[in-house]
Amino acid sequence: MARVAGGSGFAKCLATGMAVACLNVAVAAAQAPDASILTYTGPDRAERLIAGAKREGQVTYYSAMIVNQALRPLTTAFQKKYPFIKMTFWRADSEDIQTRMSAEIRANKLVVDIAEGTGIGELAVRAGMAQEAWSPELAGIPEYMRDPRKLWMPTRMSYFGMAYNTRLVPAASAPRTYEDLLDPKWKGKMVWPLLTHVGAPLFVTNLRLTRGEEKARAYLEKLRTQNIVNFGAGNPRTLVDRVIAGEYPIALQIFAHHPLISAGKGAPVAAQLLPPVASAPGTLVIPKGSRNPHAALLLMDFLLSKEGQTILVNAEYLPVRPDVEPLATIAPIVPSRAGVQENFVTPEKLNSHTEASAKIVEELFR
Amino acid sequence: MTVRSDTSASSRPLLAALPRVPAISPLVAVLVAILLILIVPPAIFLLRISLHETMPDGSLGPFTLRFYESLFTGRFFLPSLYNTMIYSLGSAVIAIVIGTVQALIVERTNTPGRNLAFFAAILSLGVPHILYTVAWLLLLGRSGPLNDLIAFVTQQPQAINVYSMWGMILIEGIGFVPLTFLLMSAVFRSMDASFEEAAIVAGASPLRAFWEVTLGMGVPAICALAMLIFIRTFESFEVPALVGLAGNINVLTTTIYQSARRTGAPNYGESGAYSICLILIVTVLLIWQNNLARNAHRYQTITGKGFRPRIVDLGPWRYLSAALLLLLFLFVTVIPAAILVFTSFLPFYEGVNLESFGRMSLDNYVILFGPGSFRDSIVNTLILGAATATIVVPFTALCAWLVVRQVKGAVLLDHLTMLPLVFPAIILGVAFLNIFVNMPLPLYGTLLSIIIASSVRYLSYGMRYAYAGALQIQPDLEGQAAVSGASGASVFRRIVLPLLAPTLINAWLLVFLLSVQAVSLPLLLVGPGSEVMAVTLFELWQNGQVTELASMGVLWMLLMTAVSAVFHLMTRRHQMNV
Repeated sequence: MARVAGGSGFAKCLATGMAVACLNVAVAAAQAPDASILTYTGPDRAERLIAGAKREGQVTYYSAMIVNQALRPLTTAFQKKYPFIKMTFWRADSEDIQTRMSAEIRANKLVVDIAEGTGIGELAVRAGMAQEAWSPELAGIPEYMRDPRKLWMPTRMSYFGMAYNTRLVPAASAPRTYEDLLDPKWKGKMVWPLLTHVGAPLFVTNLRLTRGEEKARAYLEKLRTQNIVNFGAGNPRTLVDRVIAGEYPIALQIFAHHPLISAGKGAPVAAQLLPPVASAPGTLVIPKGSRNPHAALLLMDFLLSKEGQTILVNAEYLPVRPDVEPLATIAPIVPSRAGVQENFVTPEKLNSHTEASAKIVEELFR
Repeated sequence: MTVRSDTSASSRPLLAALPRVPAISPLVAVLVAILLILIVPPAIFLLRISLHETMPDGSLGPFTLRFYESLFTGRFFLPSLYNTMIYSLGSAVIAIVIGTVQALIVERTNTPGRNLAFFAAILSLGVPHILYTVAWLLLLGRSGPLNDLIAFVTQQPQAINVYSMWGMILIEGIGFVPLTFLLMSAVFRSMDASFEEAAIVAGASPLRAFWEVTLGMGVPAICALAMLIFIRTFESFEVPALVGLAGNINVLTTTIYQSARRTGAPNYGESGAYSICLILIVTVLLIWQNNLARNAHRYQTITGKGFRPRIVDLGPWRYLSAALLLLLFLFVTVIPAAILVFTSFLPFYEGVNLESFGRMSLDNYVILFGPGSFRDSIVNTLILGAATATIVVPFTALCAWLVVRQVKGAVLLDHLTMLPLVFPAIILGVAFLNIFVNMPLPLYGTLLSIIIASSVRYLSYGMRYAYAGALQIQPDLEGQAAVSGASGASVFRRIVLPLLAPTLINAWLLVFLLSVQAVSLPLLLVGPGSEVMAVTLFELWQNGQVTELASMGVLWMLLMTAVSAVFHLMTRRHQMNV
């Protein structure tokens, strides 16, 4: 019968397709790329990278950076410099990048060659997914920002602070210290991002690291009575938008440069640093089993270079290289320029403290 | 009819050996098998993740019951469950009451301008949910025009606090009004007027006939719909997160989401445990609903005699009903859309004030038509929506018909198609990510993988729609065709499908609109080159580009309205031919 014959033909096609697909995966899995190039420091590194990248012909970048302002210009500039590499990117939050990267590694079907985001490097280290790598560009980055194990590289800086609506809070009366936040006049008027590890948990971690457990706890017990609103829909950037819209007078623990970007467009918002200012780097990692290590290294070099950092600066990120100037509009929130004490929270510290800090937030503020 | 011929001869010995196992029609068996292939892998993933520790590398660690334990002993679970029940029930009631009244006015009265209600409903379904919620908050929020107005009149600040349970119920409930309206109008449209006429002839007043007969006959459809909304609200995230958390009101989804996300490395154990409990609750609800459907013959109103609904002449009251429709149009569609349009011309949003008008420009639209986001994802999105709807609708139409005709074993179809509704979308996304990445077929990261996942996700919506429609078709017509020698397949194709057509066209549109809006599900499944619109919108929201997002939302809304208008015309034309 025609229908049955057609069915079996389809089944054959399907079976052949599956077999071919299995073969492809098996071949891909068998061709485990040579990762020794990642730590190679010889004088012919550049030539070897280019030769290898020409063979690979592609690189896939997972990143938490903003698409139109950062990822597109980065891709254009990188492909202009290395026209033989096709660069593709996928944008997501760090948690989603981690979920996807780990699923790919476990299935031995790695698509990502290089991943970047806040906290992504240390998450990958903890999961045993990061590979040691070296770049000559590391010399241009201050040592305290770098990972001594070279398992992740810093890409951009984040400084955390407070945003306030200038129509609702006159600049003269805005809180300037952690102690000022305890003033009863701010009761019920402050909000912080809840559902991200760089939100309320980092606020608590910063205090624990700078004041010690007991003093931090005593302060947080007092802060508890201020009835801080927990903001759960979206990340710290969306919270700044709610402040601009006048929903909340004051937002704590937001990326301090975000209010300045909006204020530059005329929005009624300002940033305030509360010393000591928590800072944390965005990090990148080359995951184990990367299929295009040469192209990944070229991209890593590019991101850490003056050229790459300048593209990030133009996308309103803060650079990790001292020889690259941040945009004048957001430079005032860099603690060293503002003359304010900074607490650089290393990715290791961030990771080891977050769980306990999240518990404190849950206990005292929910 | 082959579907009624129960079991094939070859399966009889096996069934005889297992006398307690009910016989299943072969057609049902095939459909059940397809559903199991689609639903079992994510269900197993859920179960496993709920019973094992998640290691830092995402693999499953040692067996544990701690997620179930913490679910019941954690201090947030019971209050969250209580809040969730109130919130879900409240939203369902608001949506059903308003949506049903609107459908009645539109379908059964001579209210002027009633056909515009379809346009309004479809327009608001085109607004991405996150934008819709934000628009309501901008309107009712602390600095919103309503609070400003009340403060101006009463001289008291902060008159209304939208960050409360009533705020959540109102926003979520009204959000479901267009859906309820579309579903209920499909039901009322296909009701036979002769029942009402008989009641009036027998001495009932038109109002009583309307109340007892028309609404009475709509009961199973209303129940099915109420359950759909109840469950959908149970697992909703945007409103609980944007509105509830800000007022310190926790519901299950926000409690669970926080536990999954708070430490950076995602941990889905508690979410898995929660989903499994939810599946059990919903199964109980479904059994209850099936008992209701056993008396389904009482509600069958489409007979061989033709079924033009009776239009009630409201006389001068029709202006009141028109005013009611206008009010709904204003609240459900115009205001959220207007806020969106207003915001799309601004560099930033800071409430509705005169200064903002001075800042208006076309900059956001210029960015939109530049290289990138919008143009890249629009084709993928349209393919995703059309393919999902085209897979889901005919499949669920067949399932619904078999369930309503109580073909042996068909009740399984009902249960299985409802299951994906209770998988929280965020977990379903992780489940499908793991399934596709481990498959030997090269599906990972492709548009096809998103189509498969969203087909599973929206089965329940197609099913509820088709079920409500199929419930009303009397079996006489099919019986007569079968007696005249038609096969089961041709009865379904030539009798059932044409009678269901208006319902199915609406269902297609609904599944299309829902699948193109989904964010959590495709978020982890899209790869380079398979970007979809809703994810792009979500990224703009996450990056604080609210005004750019609004401009994209406006264009999206216009596009969806155009698609919907074409379908609306098709439905009307088709109805003329029935």
